[in-house]
Amino acid sequence: MGIIIGVLSVTLMGTLISGLDRSFESSMSMLGKDILYVSRYEWFSDMEWWEVRNRPRMLPEYVDKIKKRSQYALAVAPVMQRGASLSLDDKNTRTEIFGTNEDYMETISSNISNGRFFTKNEDRSGARVTVIGDGIREAFFGDQNPIGEYIKIDGVKFRIIGVLEKQGKFLGLFSVDKQAILPFGAYKRIFSRRGWMRLSVKVPPEKLDEGLDEITSVMRHIRGLKPNEKNDFAINQTKAFEKQYTALKVAIGGTGLFITLLSLIVGGIGIMNIMFVSVKERTREIGIRKAIGATSGMIMGQFLMEAVTICLFAGIIGILLAYLFSYFINQFFPSTLPISLSIIAMLMSMIVGVISGFVPSYRAAKLDPIDSLRYE
Amino acid sequence: MTLISLKKIHKIYNVGGEEVRALDGVNLDIQENEYLAIMGPSGSGKSTLMNMIGCLDTPTSGLYEFEGEMVQIMDDSQLASIRNRKIGFVFQTFNLLPKATAAHNVEIPLIYANIRKDKRLAMALEALDSVGLSDRSHHRPNELSGGQRQRVAIARALVNNPSIILADEPTGNLDSKSGHEIMGILDGLHRKGNTIILVTHEDDIAQHAHRIIRLFDGKIIEDQKNGEK
Repeated sequence: MGIIIGVLSVTLMGTLISGLDRSFESSMSMLGKDILYVSRYEWFSDMEWWEVRNRPRMLPEYVDKIKKRSQYALAVAPVMQRGASLSLDDKNTRTEIFGTNEDYMETISSNISNGRFFTKNEDRSGARVTVIGDGIREAFFGDQNPIGEYIKIDGVKFRIIGVLEKQGKFLGLFSVDKQAILPFGAYKRIFSRRGWMRLSVKVPPEKLDEGLDEITSVMRHIRGLKPNEKNDFAINQTKAFEKQYTALKVAIGGTGLFITLLSLIVGGIGIMNIMFVSVKERTREIGIRKAIGATSGMIMGQFLMEAVTICLFAGIIGILLAYLFSYFINQFFPSTLPISLSIIAMLMSMIVGVISGFVPSYRAAKLDPIDSLRYE
Repeated sequence: MTLISLKKIHKIYNVGGEEVRALDGVNLDIQENEYLAIMGPSGSGKSTLMNMIGCLDTPTSGLYEFEGEMVQIMDDSQLASIRNRKIGFVFQTFNLLPKATAAHNVEIPLIYANIRKDKRLAMALEALDSVGLSDRSHHRPNELSGGQRQRVAIARALVNNPSIILADEPTGNLDSKSGHEIMGILDGLHRKGNTIILVTHEDDIAQHAHRIIRLFDGKIIEDQKNGEK
């Protein structure tokens, strides 16, 4: 039983971690490693909230200022975001809408699958055009071509000019396919003048550190900070995610390891007990086998094999259960069960079998044939 | 040729701090193709002597040579090898593995002798055939009568072509008809050239043997030839 739980926990833990790894990687590639996210808030920070709150807002004019002063910034996109309801005829859905500029496509990893992104002129003129996520297209238009159709965002008509390609879920938590991207000009006018904003700045991937330094100093300059003042803005990178993620991975791995060890020890003791009983019950058999020519080593091998077989059997059950569990978990959270892990788990249960079977088998091997033949 | 040579064998057990001399200076030579019966009341040491000859037990003192080799200085695996190849045991209580079929029971000594699987089964069936049980090879011991079980045990003892068959009260748990059958098989084995050592306390069983040894209090008190029949 313990072995089953042990194998189960080690494989599930590994499943979770490898699943996380995979989804993390694809999610991170959604974000892009070479993008600096400038905003009021650090993604992961232990700063007091009021300190952060009192920081000045990001302003749309920073976009041009950064572009003018920075030599590393390849693209700068302001991003405002809020929830909104989308509707077409009698269909409607809640989704996230983004207000941004023509540089936005440079700062995300996905592409337009159909149609086009909006232009600088459309942005400046406040044209009511939108690029929708693949999820929205599927929900509203199905197989029809959405390009040129009109859709209502919070009651305001927008013309669809492009569709983003399908991306899947971010960290398995929410789908990025349900979104609508609007030109910054229209977004500001219709939905929000103020509100939370961030800037996405693309820098050359090989100049990440230099870019970070430069953008920091540009931002300090824009804000007019004196050298002894602290930054009143935050520049985030996917690296920060990675740090958090590693910590999470260690936590899951550590807990899993602890459970695994504990259950393996319990399981090992269980197997040892079973084997002791088995040796006791079969004392006579051991005597017979010795009388007809089994050496101590052969007897020992036989009982060790039995212990290992029991453990392997439990291990197989554990792995089957793990597959089952990971299938269910996968419905809610990304997880995959790597083959290598199953093999490791099997080896592990075999080792437990050898260790816990050793003492009983040794005892069996050392039994005196005469006494054990008389044993009833 | 002398198969077994026991010289001044002593076996002393310590039971609750008291010395029990199970064997007290036994001298015994057994030649090839002898048919020997060891007799004596219970507690006379005949089982101990049997175990000693069968290399299951080692003497406290004395000299035991098996085919001219010193048994005392052998290690565990050498002793096991002698038991496996040179000696076939037949027990009063059969001592078959209850969960294994007759064929498998007979096969086990061959497994320990590292004989190939296909050859093993053929040899096991041949041995079962020689005791007239070829049609029972797939039965488990509890599906067999006492006499049949003992015949399986004899087949197991025979399967490695050992030179000696050690039978410890082989008919003790059998009715007289099955007992006669078993003794008939043992007589036949003797005629084929095997050395048979029989432990019994029944006189008529002992009469099958050609030499009868009587033990009492760990000593041989009588060693006589039995008149040829």
